[in-house]
Amino acid sequence: MSALDVARAALAAADGDAEAVAHCERSGLARFAGSEIHQPTLIENAVVTLRVVRGNRYGIATTNDVDPKGLEELARRASAAAESTPPDDSFPGLAPAARPPDVDGYDESTAALGPDDQARLAAAAIDAAGDMPVYGFFTSASCELAVASSTGLGVEQRMTDATALVLAAAEGCSGYAEHTAWKANDIDPSAVAREAVDKAVRTKGAGAVEPGVYRAVLEPYAFADLLEYFSHDSLGALGLLEKRSYLSDRIGQQVADEKITIADDPLDPRGLPKAFDFEGTPKQRVVLFERGVARGVVWDRATAARAESEASTTGHAGPVESADWGPLPYSLSVAPGEADSVEELAELVGDGIYITRLHYLGVIDPREGIVTGMTRDGTFRIRDGKIGEPLVNLRFTVSVPDLLREVFGLTRHAALVNSQNFYGERYPYGVLTPALAAARFTITGVGSTPGI
Amino acid sequence: MRDLCAAAVDAATATGAEYADARVVLKRSQLVATKNGRVDRMTDAESQGIGVRVLVDGAWGFACDRRLTDEGARDAALRACTFARAAAGRHVRTLAPVERHTGRHESKAEQDPFAVPLADKVDLCLRADAALAGPDVIVRQAMVRAQREHKLLLSSEGTEVEQVLTECGAGIDCAASRDGVFQVRSYPSAAIGSSRQSGWEFVDGLRLADEAPRVAEQAAALVRADPCPSGITTVVLDGDQVALQVHESVGHPTELDRVYGTEASYAGTSFLRPGDLGSLRYGSEHMNITADPTTSGGLGSFGFDDEGVPAQRTPVVEAGRLTGFLTSRETAARIGAGGGGSMRADGWNRMPLVRMTNLHIEPGEGTLDELLADVDDGIYMETNRSWSIDDKRLNFQFGTQIAWEIKNGERGRMLRDATYTGITPEFWGSLDAVAGRDSWRLYGLTNCGKGQPGQSAHVSHGAAPARFRNVQVGVKA
Repeated sequence: MSALDVARAALAAADGDAEAVAHCERSGLARFAGSEIHQPTLIENAVVTLRVVRGNRYGIATTNDVDPKGLEELARRASAAAESTPPDDSFPGLAPAARPPDVDGYDESTAALGPDDQARLAAAAIDAAGDMPVYGFFTSASCELAVASSTGLGVEQRMTDATALVLAAAEGCSGYAEHTAWKANDIDPSAVAREAVDKAVRTKGAGAVEPGVYRAVLEPYAFADLLEYFSHDSLGALGLLEKRSYLSDRIGQQVADEKITIADDPLDPRGLPKAFDFEGTPKQRVVLFERGVARGVVWDRATAARAESEASTTGHAGPVESADWGPLPYSLSVAPGEADSVEELAELVGDGIYITRLHYLGVIDPREGIVTGMTRDGTFRIRDGKIGEPLVNLRFTVSVPDLLREVFGLTRHAALVNSQNFYGERYPYGVLTPALAAARFTITGVGSTPGI
Repeated sequence: MRDLCAAAVDAATATGAEYADARVVLKRSQLVATKNGRVDRMTDAESQGIGVRVLVDGAWGFACDRRLTDEGARDAALRACTFARAAAGRHVRTLAPVERHTGRHESKAEQDPFAVPLADKVDLCLRADAALAGPDVIVRQAMVRAQREHKLLLSSEGTEVEQVLTECGAGIDCAASRDGVFQVRSYPSAAIGSSRQSGWEFVDGLRLADEAPRVAEQAAALVRADPCPSGITTVVLDGDQVALQVHESVGHPTELDRVYGTEASYAGTSFLRPGDLGSLRYGSEHMNITADPTTSGGLGSFGFDDEGVPAQRTPVVEAGRLTGFLTSRETAARIGAGGGGSMRADGWNRMPLVRMTNLHIEPGEGTLDELLADVDDGIYMETNRSWSIDDKRLNFQFGTQIAWEIKNGERGRMLRDATYTGITPEFWGSLDAVAGRDSWRLYGLTNCGKGQPGQSAHVSHGAAPARFRNVQVGVKA
């Protein structure tokens, strides 16, 4: 059964107005540590979420038992939920039927990869690392998402994704690299491993720096992570409505450097394209920052209905398990700059810090976009415009808008950085971003040396 | 369930697996949440399937199937063996011996949470939500949840254990905003409340609506409070924050798979080394940490872990010295100590990993007021708000929702945006008091992430307020 078949079968089991979202996953992840595969995981699943509507009340139930009896029980539980709920005057109803845009994002050869292929591609990364121990994975998946509803809506998208991720690490050194794409053939696990090993070798003999405000170059891995955390509170409509977004009361204002343009672009084939959201609404490109001016956030039907000023869905409803966050930008895309390389960004910085990757971010103050975390797997001093000696892992505490307020430059090349950690059902998404050079990155502590 | 597991294990061993285990899991989760007087979320999720783990020529393989049929079970077993063969390398894996166990374990639940009508759950949330109303409060939330996991594990070594684990949880949050200052306050813990292995009686006992006015008043006071100053001072943490401190800076670094590096690519490693066992000074003599999956009501309680090892209480830190790790059968064999007992999987479609069970800091003496009384100048912090720690679990920075300055042994003015930072062994070395048994509570977390693909674990920590000297507070961006 396709995902749309599952969704329509669930819809048929419901009595009256309803919406069914079905997700099918076939994935393999060959995880390795110490240069051998130790946790290979194959997943096959089909999950359907049914929303039953009774006037302006609704209830939701989910199951992965998609046989007729399972769907009958699903409909019973969703109906019971709907009948236990008081009326909600702000409920906007189910999405109307709509034709989603044609997007890329599915590759037959990636979908055909099996466990032998996934293990082989993981082994390619391990072999390319030579004597340097490596930790990471190769994974590929084929997923289908479908939404069907009693409004006549019926949409389906097949998606593939693949990621090779390598941490090269030994005593006192570590380096990181990752490639993500919807075509596995666009990923070279050997090249990922070589990039990680080259970086690791350069981190030997790391020293400390004093806490303080530094100029900094952030590789795409680091910048993507910061943006992702910032986006949860600040770039979705729920954060805006609940006044925890940095953009609250700032839309239309110049809040970042003119070099900063950020959009959510689900249609870009360089990313992980998406045709519609979890309500079945066609996806739109949404400009969030335009030449440093805050332009807006992403919306779903529920938040648009509660907006004080006129708003409409932009096609950014998320899966039911992420409903706490409301609509989120799952396809962040940062406009590139003019630098040919990260070395050129280092020249623009002159004196500062070079950061490859971040670890374990935490939001301290959502309203001001303040995030803390650690650097890891490739932190270096920049001196005289050159990437210089390695540094230990550093604790930072930065306001993301403050970081973006004075930007020296961005690279021409944008990299797709995987943002999902494969919790729950697999829904591939990531951030497409160049590297960034900025004037203010606040180091607030010194941590351990790199390495295992 | 048993026949499906047996079919999977038989299929795996018939195709050459030297070891196989199969778990059938049926899980139901229900959540009701209200926000600003309306139902925000009401979900009722069921998930079922079989996960099969095999060792073939020394290599692990894991595959799963949602179909609870003979065909699904055998398919999963054969795919797991295929993946293991494809992953074969220079593997030498030894599993610590475990006695064959057969048995059944069911957690205690006086009132079945799934028998409580949904309408009653909605009503409970709406009453608590309404009671959060107050000046400057812009978001009011209440939440109740329930989960039941019924699982059976069968291994090629003859272990066959069936377990039914029921948990419930609830909480309230509100957010206040004034003049661009945004603050949150929660009860009984941050964000998603607190949970316990229990029946609905746990939720009733939390008395959400009764606590709501205090929570709202504190949120409104916070937007008017002064920011926490920067400096080095004495810090007293409430039990909730001590629980998180134990979780992040003791629980994760003592997971032996992290020590051996097998989690390096995601959650990270550990500053500990296998040779530190028995010798490393982790903290002061007031620091006693115990892993205990037998704790009544703990989210990490079970009869057997997901390798079939019986639950057992294990000291991890005794009088400040490292005396134990959290282990699997594989890592226990590798270090030559213990017999596993901390392997847990997030449902049927994930491989078991070394996870915390219930990790407690043992109580000391006295009360919170007595801890405060011995502070001339310091800060008392309550309820976690933010958390971050490095990949080796050494450098951490945590923030709390609310704080008060301590002057001459008493609470003074309220402070907002309180943070503190430190290095794990130095911080625990500065512990000079833990409050006593009467102040000791069980805190339940449901969002502990680890593994690739990612897995969320539910764990509990028993903790009491504790006092730390010479701590850096008030980190600024």
